[in-house]
Amino acid sequence: MSGLNREWEVGTDIGGTFTDIIAIRRDPAETRIAKVPSRPHAPVDAMLEALEAVGLQKDQVKRFVHGTTRVTNAIVEERLPKVALIATAGFEDVLDIARYRRRDLYRLDIPPKSPSLVPRELCFGLVERLDHEGNVLKPLQDLEIDRLVTWLKQTDVQSVAVALLHAYANPVHERMLAERLKAIVPHVSLSHEVNPEAREYERTSSTVFNAAAMPIAVEYLSELEQRLPIGPGLQVFHSAGAMVPIVAVKRRPLVMAMSGPAAGVSASVSIARQLGTPRMLTFDMGGTTTDVCLIIDGQAEMADGRMLGDRPLRQPMLAVHSIGAGGGSIVRNGPGGLTVGPQSAGSEPGPACYGRGGTAPTITDANAVLGYLNPETRLGDRISLDIEAARCAIAPIAEALKLGLEETALGIVKVANATMARALRRVTVERGIDGRECTLLAFGGGGPMHAAGMADLYGIGSIVVPNASSAFSALGCLTADFSFLQQQTFRVALDGIDLVRLLERIETLIGQASEPLIANGVARAEVDVELVALMRYAAQNDAIAVPFSLPLNPTRLRDDFLARHHELFGYATAESCVVESVRVQARRPSTTIVDRPTTAIRKLQMASRRCTFDGGHNVATAIVDRASMQETVVGPAIIEDAWSTVVVPPGWQAKPDAIGHLFLTKVTP
Amino acid sequence: MTLDPFTVEVIRHGLSAAAEEMSLVMTRSARSPLLREAGDLSSAITDAGGDLVGQGRDIPIHLGAMAYTVPELLKVVSVSSLNDGDVLIYNLGALGGNHLNDVKVVRPVFVDGDIVAFAISLAHWPDIGGTWPGSYFAKAIDTFQEAMRIPPVLIATAGGVNTPIMQLLKANVRDPEACEGDLLGQIAATKAGERRIVELCRHHGIDVFTAALARLHDLSEIEMREAIRELPDGIYEGEDYLDDGGAGGEPARIHVKITIAGDEATFDLSGSADRASNFCNTTPFIARSAVAYSARIMSGREMQQNAGALRPLTIITRQGSILEPGWTAAVAAGNHETSMRIVDAIFRAMQDAIPERLSAGGTTTASVLFFAEPRADGSWKMLYEVHGGGEGARHDRDGVSATRVHLANTSNTPAEVIEANYKIRVEQQSIRRQSGGAGKYRGGDGVVRSYRILAPSMHLTTCIERMVIPPFGMQGGQPGETCRISLVRNGANVEIDGKSNLVLQRDDLVTIESCGGGGYGAANEVSR
Repeated sequence: MSGLNREWEVGTDIGGTFTDIIAIRRDPAETRIAKVPSRPHAPVDAMLEALEAVGLQKDQVKRFVHGTTRVTNAIVEERLPKVALIATAGFEDVLDIARYRRRDLYRLDIPPKSPSLVPRELCFGLVERLDHEGNVLKPLQDLEIDRLVTWLKQTDVQSVAVALLHAYANPVHERMLAERLKAIVPHVSLSHEVNPEAREYERTSSTVFNAAAMPIAVEYLSELEQRLPIGPGLQVFHSAGAMVPIVAVKRRPLVMAMSGPAAGVSASVSIARQLGTPRMLTFDMGGTTTDVCLIIDGQAEMADGRMLGDRPLRQPMLAVHSIGAGGGSIVRNGPGGLTVGPQSAGSEPGPACYGRGGTAPTITDANAVLGYLNPETRLGDRISLDIEAARCAIAPIAEALKLGLEETALGIVKVANATMARALRRVTVERGIDGRECTLLAFGGGGPMHAAGMADLYGIGSIVVPNASSAFSALGCLTADFSFLQQQTFRVALDGIDLVRLLERIETLIGQASEPLIANGVARAEVDVELVALMRYAAQNDAIAVPFSLPLNPTRLRDDFLARHHELFGYATAESCVVESVRVQARRPSTTIVDRPTTAIRKLQMASRRCTFDGGHNVATAIVDRASMQETVVGPAIIEDAWSTVVVPPGWQAKPDAIGHLFLTKVTP
Repeated sequence: MTLDPFTVEVIRHGLSAAAEEMSLVMTRSARSPLLREAGDLSSAITDAGGDLVGQGRDIPIHLGAMAYTVPELLKVVSVSSLNDGDVLIYNLGALGGNHLNDVKVVRPVFVDGDIVAFAISLAHWPDIGGTWPGSYFAKAIDTFQEAMRIPPVLIATAGGVNTPIMQLLKANVRDPEACEGDLLGQIAATKAGERRIVELCRHHGIDVFTAALARLHDLSEIEMREAIRELPDGIYEGEDYLDDGGAGGEPARIHVKITIAGDEATFDLSGSADRASNFCNTTPFIARSAVAYSARIMSGREMQQNAGALRPLTIITRQGSILEPGWTAAVAAGNHETSMRIVDAIFRAMQDAIPERLSAGGTTTASVLFFAEPRADGSWKMLYEVHGGGEGARHDRDGVSATRVHLANTSNTPAEVIEANYKIRVEQQSIRRQSGGAGKYRGGDGVVRSYRILAPSMHLTTCIERMVIPPFGMQGGQPGETCRISLVRNGANVEIDGKSNLVLQRDDLVTIESCGGGGYGAANEVSR
């Protein structure tokens, strides 16, 4: 009976402040968007409230995909359950030793590195040893496993990380342990499964993160399954930019570490493909951070991992670069000059103009002084804007600089843009391309407000502010492909490569990556497989991604590697090269299409406000309702909807298309 | 022309981003593990006069020394002789040098026919010829025994790489193929820096760019002067010792007399020992670099580390001393050992005046073990491994274990990478428990690492300080444990020195125990 009604697909993104939701039905076509306050201690409650907010019952939902930073937040805030670490004897201190490097060159007041996530008394040295080719030098004895089991029983840990030396080359000892351990602790993470790559500290750190995330993820995902019993339609968004079934996430919760930002990038990928934009830079500016990612020919760039604080997390994931600058970043004027962030006013008390007791000047306050924010706006029915408070917060800086208030606010926005431009530069440089050739895709609370100023600074001439830009990550949950990714260290020289053996190993990887999709009812014929070789010169460390297809042609692969190396570093030599790893992504392409939303329309009270731009102070500026906008708008103008503000400075214009994307272009050089 | 404070900040971001991009290009394309794993490289941008204005988050000793890399060059090479596309390479001590392994690749950046900046890529070459693989020869009587000396020559021009010079360099190093890859990476790094600087000039205009650079120097100078003014006027003296290298092989003294007067400070190092009998000599540039770092710590402030920050400082070294031994003295170890002892002496001088800004003595030694294995073709495979140790405790916390301090910030090479690339097995890597000094707050612990040799023979260089004189405690804290090195051959202990060159055999086991940090405050004070 209820099966007949199951016609809605729902995407949600659980952010720090708000839980966004977007619901789509195909026939008759309808899109609904809402935002509800997040509940850090009851995320499932917030998700179900969001469902109510778009007027849906549980039994109307066919598919429910969510992105969440729950795992990442738990790691960053160090609210993690206790974990035991099993390492090779003699290497128990691997996390304490780390890589020696300290995080700040000139500050003695902060500890040079974070303490280990596992206290010494929970680290166990297991007598066994492999070499780098996977040969067993010292076999793991049953008696030794007994000793471990006895030790483990007297700890009260619920989760264990196993990271043995060279396990990426041969998992034999880790597998021997797995069976015995699973009988006595609920959660076991094995390094060769979590991150089958060399470098003991990075692999161990990743495995410990996974182990720590497991109890949190399993508890929360089980609750969700129970309260929203829709079977395989319940999915989670993973860091590599696709959705995965819940059963897979419970074993490898680390795959959702960058779930939220990755969903935003995935929505961007859909738009890049839809619009046929060859090079796109995503610009997602939130309250405390700004995330950027590069999309080339409809594919987002991938990375091998990232740092969480100063601890490495190695997992293939979208190459989202985050910097600690957002709307809430605090502006400081010291004798050494004017700086923005990394300190943030956060959501409590927030920028001064939120009227909740904040007094420190922030980027949002500068935007308020410039007239960009609608004084009648209420954010989530909780925050009303106090422009006067923003002016008071900026005033001391203006006085110190002996400049006008508006002039100072403009300057602050410029510095903020320069700070964020570094993130854009970083992702383009890593890929060896010129950022000015890219289209900027702006979303998040601050993206559409800062995009034009940032583009001016960076030399970018075209910006897209997508439809549903305010619930963009939730949208990404729906429009992404259904996919799974597997990566493994091969480390074989290309010269004299054993092609038969290599192909066997690649086929195995393809099988591993496809299996979760097929288990979820995707037909094998529907699965697309993308193959990437991570290659380097024999003497190098960092491998670079070289896509290839089967049948594998080693000469072609080598040529492609040389071309890519030249593109990145400006030279290539005739040295011998190595296939370090192979990455396989199995995907079923998305078929979801999103129309202009029918909700989130709000009547504007004001048609004009006085705003300040570079080159024009206190200019009468048109305020345009985004939902009803049909014609090209020439700057200066502010385009608003319930949740976002698009600033079109003088010299720029904005043009809407049929499904609600806005195209900003520069009209004067 | 208008120069508002925002534009200055925008340009500062642009310069830092450019320097960081240079290091990224270098690390990602490098061949030698020392560069790609340990990150022993730095990048910087100077103004047209050679004064440092932008730097990456690299190695403080490099960044300090690079303040002199271009100014000293411009004393011997005329600006008018440089052309767009030229790239110079050099390592001479007299040209703002530190030790011969640290090779600078410098590119003048032209906009509209004029030099607006220089981009510098500095990398520690794992070998640069000389008596012993790795170019650290403990008994070197002079720098000619240490390594190849490179005066400023053009390694590239607008036409591309200067092949004869490349051949000359490759002919004089022990791993020519890796050397060429590393050097091409350095050249590519300066090219990346050039691209960003040109963009900044085009966007803001050359006048604004130049004025902003001058302003950045001024801002740091203002900040440094304010910081010095806050320090109580007076004369502060401090000293520390290197394990040996003094007269008759005795410990060598490093002494500093600091005079704080108003908003200026003088650091007089002339009371330090005479030219050392080993490779612990260093150059006046390194002495300045160590002082610049210490002054920044003494200031307790965040500021941009540029030439402006040095203006209120007068730094004096004595000719003929270990810190100004003449340009042909052996200097390989002084770069990271003697330089650190200067920081130690300054901290000891200031410990009663500003204890809360400082820390007790830490692992102020690179504790280098350098393994070299000959290949069949006569080239060498080399591993330069530094060892972290304990950080000194502070007035409000324990020191951290297994880290690098002050002027150093390079990493270890993972055991899994060592074993995959060298005939060495790492048998143990652990924290050296209880090696930190006791106190109200404890010093951090050192590390223990053991290397089993699997090749028939391997050359080893040791360069370890703090084996005799331990890291000091502060305000009543105990000193940390000294470093130890041991060699077990056929089940027996073989005597091995902290500064030596020797040949290892198959199955030899080399174990280093790095030093602990000093404690802070008397142990009977209750810590919170």
